[in-house]
Amino acid sequence: MNKILVIDDEAIVRTSCQRTLVPEGYDVRLATSGQEGLDLMAKESFSLVLLDLKMPDMDGIEVLNRIKTGWPGTKVVMVTGYSTVDTAVQALRLGAYNFIEKPFTPDTLIAAVREVFYGKNQD
Amino acid sequence: MKNIFSHPEKSIAAKLIIAIGLLMIVVSFIFWYATLKKQEEDIMSIALKYGDSFVQFTKRSTRHSMLIYERDETQRVLENLSTPEGVHRVRIYDHSGTVLFCSRGSTVGKPVDSASIACQGCHRNPGTSPVLLREPKTWNVYKDEKGNTAIKLIGTIPNEPDCYTASCHVHRQEEQTLGFIEADLSLALLDEALFKQGLALTAYVIIFVLAVSLFLGIILYKIVSRPVYELTDAMDHVANGDLGYSVPIKSSDEIGMLAKAFNAMIKDIKAARDQREQWTQTLEVEISKKTDEIRKTHANLVQTEKLASLGRMAAGVAHEINNPLTGVVTFAHLLKKRFPAESDESQDLDIIIEQSERCSKIIKNLLTFARATPTEKGKVSINDVLRRTIFMVQNQEKFHHIKFNVTLEDSQFVIVGDSSQFQQIFLNMFINAADAMGGRGNITVGTRTIVEEKKPYVEIEFTDEGTGIKKEDMLKLFEPFFTTKPVGKGTGLGLSVSHGIVKHFGGNIKVKSEIGKGTSFFVRLPLPSSDAKKSHE
Repeated sequence: MNKILVIDDEAIVRTSCQRTLVPEGYDVRLATSGQEGLDLMAKESFSLVLLDLKMPDMDGIEVLNRIKTGWPGTKVVMVTGYSTVDTAVQALRLGAYNFIEKPFTPDTLIAAVREVFYGKNQD
Repeated sequence: MKNIFSHPEKSIAAKLIIAIGLLMIVVSFIFWYATLKKQEEDIMSIALKYGDSFVQFTKRSTRHSMLIYERDETQRVLENLSTPEGVHRVRIYDHSGTVLFCSRGSTVGKPVDSASIACQGCHRNPGTSPVLLREPKTWNVYKDEKGNTAIKLIGTIPNEPDCYTASCHVHRQEEQTLGFIEADLSLALLDEALFKQGLALTAYVIIFVLAVSLFLGIILYKIVSRPVYELTDAMDHVANGDLGYSVPIKSSDEIGMLAKAFNAMIKDIKAARDQREQWTQTLEVEISKKTDEIRKTHANLVQTEKLASLGRMAAGVAHEINNPLTGVVTFAHLLKKRFPAESDESQDLDIIIEQSERCSKIIKNLLTFARATPTEKGKVSINDVLRRTIFMVQNQEKFHHIKFNVTLEDSQFVIVGDSSQFQQIFLNMFINAADAMGGRGNITVGTRTIVEEKKPYVEIEFTDEGTGIKKEDMLKLFEPFFTTKPVGKGTGLGLSVSHGIVKHFGGNIKVKSEIGKGTSFFVRLPLPSSDAKKSHE
């Protein structure tokens, strides 16, 4: 099972993730806000959530908390701007698997996702 | 001295002199008057004595001729006694007042003037029944026709046995007084003598008064006026602000003491003023120092506030740009996969990717500037970081034609911080130096310990031989986005980021630059006090 949920308020980021990961064989779903993402998770199950840290109504940390409570088995990779690295580190403490910095290249994204599914040394 | 006379109302000496002079004039006048009076009296009593003698002499001279009743003889004797200068007239008259003999002969046989002393000297009222006065007056003084003093003397001719026993039987025995001798004597010579004496006395008094006044004047001038003028003069000087002036002390009297006290007072005032001036100067220096500090602090505050708001804005913008940039990068990559690796399209897309990455770097710099980046704090040796950075840049193409002159002080300069931040500062300095020199020349690097406001600092010097910095650019040097480099070459953030980091560590950056000769940057970072000690051991 390689279902990935991308939660990001920015359409271009969502599309970028989708266009990068679908050719790699992943099943990618998109959500425009934290709430929408959680609703989607209630219906379907995901192996990985790519979660934007900065969003308008519900921020990434809160969404992360909810996921960790509701779906402890689901791994979360935070997507963050450079300035929020501090918060990203906080997210790791709260149980996020990893974080990647914006702007990321397709290679970076693929590497990070692979790491989640196949472990660190998998290339 | 001239003040005494030109403004006597303003001079104590003049007042004293006038008072004493007036007193002396009054006393002298009394003395003069008393002396003259006494002399007059003395002369008069002498004159009286001589007059009496003269009357007695006349009496004796005429006695014989009278006894023998030789009237012509008597008349002749009287005429002989009369002289023009001294004796005006000598007369003999009987006791009824009829003139018997006269030295001038003109009044013989005539009665004596009843108002004359000759009658009134003894009788109260000559016209009525004769009453004899108890103390008969025998002389009086009057002015003669020439205005000279004259004296009239009356002498009695008493009855004697020779008179009433004489053969002529003119006089009876019961008669007490037979007649009178009257002598009018001139005192003109005495007048003259008195006048001369008076004149001499007056002259003596005047000379005495003048001499005493002059003497007093000189004495007063010397001991009162001059010292007082000197004091007044000194006070004028002092009033005009000349506190270096002092009064010469010439005596130990009251004025001398006053002068001494005055000098002491001026000395105290001068000391007080000097101290006050010193205080004022210190105060002025302090004030200007504080004003400068405040101005600097204010400028810093303004700058900090400006940077902070700019930082906030930059952070927001940068963050927003990251999202579209992600799209650009992703889609460029996706597109690139559709073209063969060596195709023109692939190469163009590489440019898009490359430039996007540059954008990303700029944003990272911006964000570094905007907020403190997370730092891995640890003990960092400034010299080590510097050596590593130099090694790193020497291998880059940009620095191939640049020679590094490195003189590092024999110390570690250990600071607790993030080595990458220091590296960033040093890298910025080297890149700027290389750009300023157009990639050719010498960069001088040095470290040393300095003490600023009693605190130890490590000073890292970066000197290039570049174009130098224009005066008007100096102020903007640390402003974000300020760059003199060509478009695309610099972000204008290097120095501003470096400055931010240095500030964060409590240090500062000093710049010296000369157009055409080069620029020196001095990065100063505070050292922990104990390390500073170690570095000197």
